Amino acid sequence: MEQFFQQLTNGLAVGGIYALIALGYTMVYGVLKLINFAHGDLFTIGSYLGLTLLTSMALTDKLGPFFGILLLAVMVMILVGIVGILLDQVAYRPLRESPRLSAVVSALGASIFFQNTIMLIYGASFHVYPQNILPRMVVNVFGLHIPMIRILVLLASVVMMLALYTFIQKTTIGTAIRAAAEDQGAAKLMGIDVNGVIMIVFFIGPALGGAAGLMVGLYYGQVNFTMGWIYGLKAFTAAILGGIGNIPGAMVGGILLGVIEALGAAYISIAWKDAIAFLVLILILIVRPTGLLGERVAEKI
Amino acid sequence: MKKFIAVFFPLLALSLLLSPPLFSAETVKIGLMGPMTGPWASEGQEMKQVLDLLAEDINSAGGLNGKKVEVISEDDSGDPRQASLAATRLTTKGVVAVIGTYGSSITEATQNIYDESEIIQVANGSTAIRLTEKGLDYFFRTCPRDDEQGRVAANTIKKLGHKKVAILHDNTSYAKGLASETQGLLIEMEGVEVVFFEAITPGERDYNAILTKVKATSPDAIFFTGYYPEAGLLLRQKTEMGWDVPFMGGDATNHPDLVKIAGNAAAKGFYFVSAPLPKDLDTPEARDFVEKFQKAYGHAPNSIYAVLAGDGFRVVTEAIKQTDSTDTQKIADYLHKEMEGFPGLTGKISFNDKGDRVGEVYRVYQVNENGEFILQP
Repeated sequence: MEQFFQQLTNGLAVGGIYALIALGYTMVYGVLKLINFAHGDLFTIGSYLGLTLLTSMALTDKLGPFFGILLLAVMVMILVGIVGILLDQVAYRPLRESPRLSAVVSALGASIFFQNTIMLIYGASFHVYPQNILPRMVVNVFGLHIPMIRILVLLASVVMMLALYTFIQKTTIGTAIRAAAEDQGAAKLMGIDVNGVIMIVFFIGPALGGAAGLMVGLYYGQVNFTMGWIYGLKAFTAAILGGIGNIPGAMVGGILLGVIEALGAAYISIAWKDAIAFLVLILILIVRPTGLLGERVAEKI
Repeated sequence: MKKFIAVFFPLLALSLLLSPPLFSAETVKIGLMGPMTGPWASEGQEMKQVLDLLAEDINSAGGLNGKKVEVISEDDSGDPRQASLAATRLTTKGVVAVIGTYGSSITEATQNIYDESEIIQVANGSTAIRLTEKGLDYFFRTCPRDDEQGRVAANTIKKLGHKKVAILHDNTSYAKGLASETQGLLIEMEGVEVVFFEAITPGERDYNAILTKVKATSPDAIFFTGYYPEAGLLLRQKTEMGWDVPFMGGDATNHPDLVKIAGNAAAKGFYFVSAPLPKDLDTPEARDFVEKFQKAYGHAPNSIYAVLAGDGFRVVTEAIKQTDSTDTQKIADYLHKEMEGFPGLTGKISFNDKGDRVGEVYRVYQVNENGEFILQP
């Protein structure tokens, strides 16, 4: 039983990060019906920018670990958000009226471009976050050893997700985003600046992905330029699992995927971990073709 | 038509100017296939640095049999599909021999392509046993084989007195081969038990779920046969769990980045089996080479596999020199039969009929508290 709960916390920590990245996929899909395959690399950019800013500005020395990391997170999110907007302007906007497949190919191209750019700038070897920026405390809860940082990672992702949810549901801009996701043409007729909405979406999604990249860097300590691929793939799966285009769906899907993986590895087989996760995905899609919380009919990609 | 001529002829003239001289057969071309991008890019880029340096050496000393040596490198990205494309490209470029590549599964994807084109291939980091069991006449390797590595690993585990061993691999042909080789040897040993044997997924960041599961079988040592990025993360996350079980790795964990990833505290005490590091090579050739490398690139070579690629290059050029020919059959025959105790950078080199390197190469290393790799007696 103890092992079960230990594995559950392992899964929740991974799932929180999947969920944050999945939000970027789902938001862009919701509005543009486009799978932004470069999203995983925006996540990588986030972790590299975090590393550069952390080591060059020594924020944690000046402001203490908590405010240092907070400021760092804000800076990384803004920068990655800007990269996201640029990505949209360069790679997707000119293809807005083209068949959707063209934009998908453009997304794949952008992904390769980002990956190689990171490699050329930072080099191919691994980069490591300075150690001991965050207190490496281990909390004992009912006999479980949970590193403090894991709780913080989960907490941070939940806070960001709730903030996003409130933003989408309660604010005017959020309403505009939902309207544009519902029907772009009608939204335009109602006087909503759809291009503005797309820009906001391409800011928020990548910003969250960048924050996830920073958290992975801080938590696991090691970053390299190919890391976006696996995380991107998993987060994309999470978004489908929860119902792509649906924001709470991405959160649920991410956390669920992390937990399924951890428990699958624990009780069935480590080597079959991914196969189990995808099997669950297939089963859920058979029962609910639009994902767990999906409303719209899933469209082929 | 006038317009066409106006554009066509200047273009033709330009292309003639830019194209390499027509009689470029005056160089001896040696291919390098390595992971220049992808997860092992640092290995591949160092392989290229080593070969460029050695080629420059030969060329400044008057070339090979009066011809310049030219290194043509192709990127295999550490991916079998990419590698077969790279191999096909190299076969069209008139290379005599190809040095590379690093991972066994990547090499395996290219073996037949080179064999069919009768091009010599000297792998530098591919230790999977079956690569040389296929009877390919043009395939050699400067690195040792996993059965020797497995033997050294199993003996070390036994010698350190571990009774319950957990073995983890990552499902690549190299890691899986080494893992089952070692498992087979350990099972035969008296008083040693393999309590856990499974594969992890390489490229992930979080191995807590796996470590938690391994911990439940309470082994008193873990042997991981995969590569250094995952080994570093496993070490780090194991320490964060507050679990101080001895951890041992295969030769793919031999890379300075391992310590960077794990951190000094977590890497301390980590054992690994490997061919000797460049710094521990004590032949005059090696000392001379390390010094030259240091001067050219500002640091000593990081990876033994890059140095083994250098040895591959050196045996091939030696064979070309001795046979005074670029006929691959003659070169292969020379390497198989006549090369005896060639002073390589990593020690004496001879090949057996299968193309395997003869002799004991593996050593045991341990990481000290400063993150340095210390050769164990």
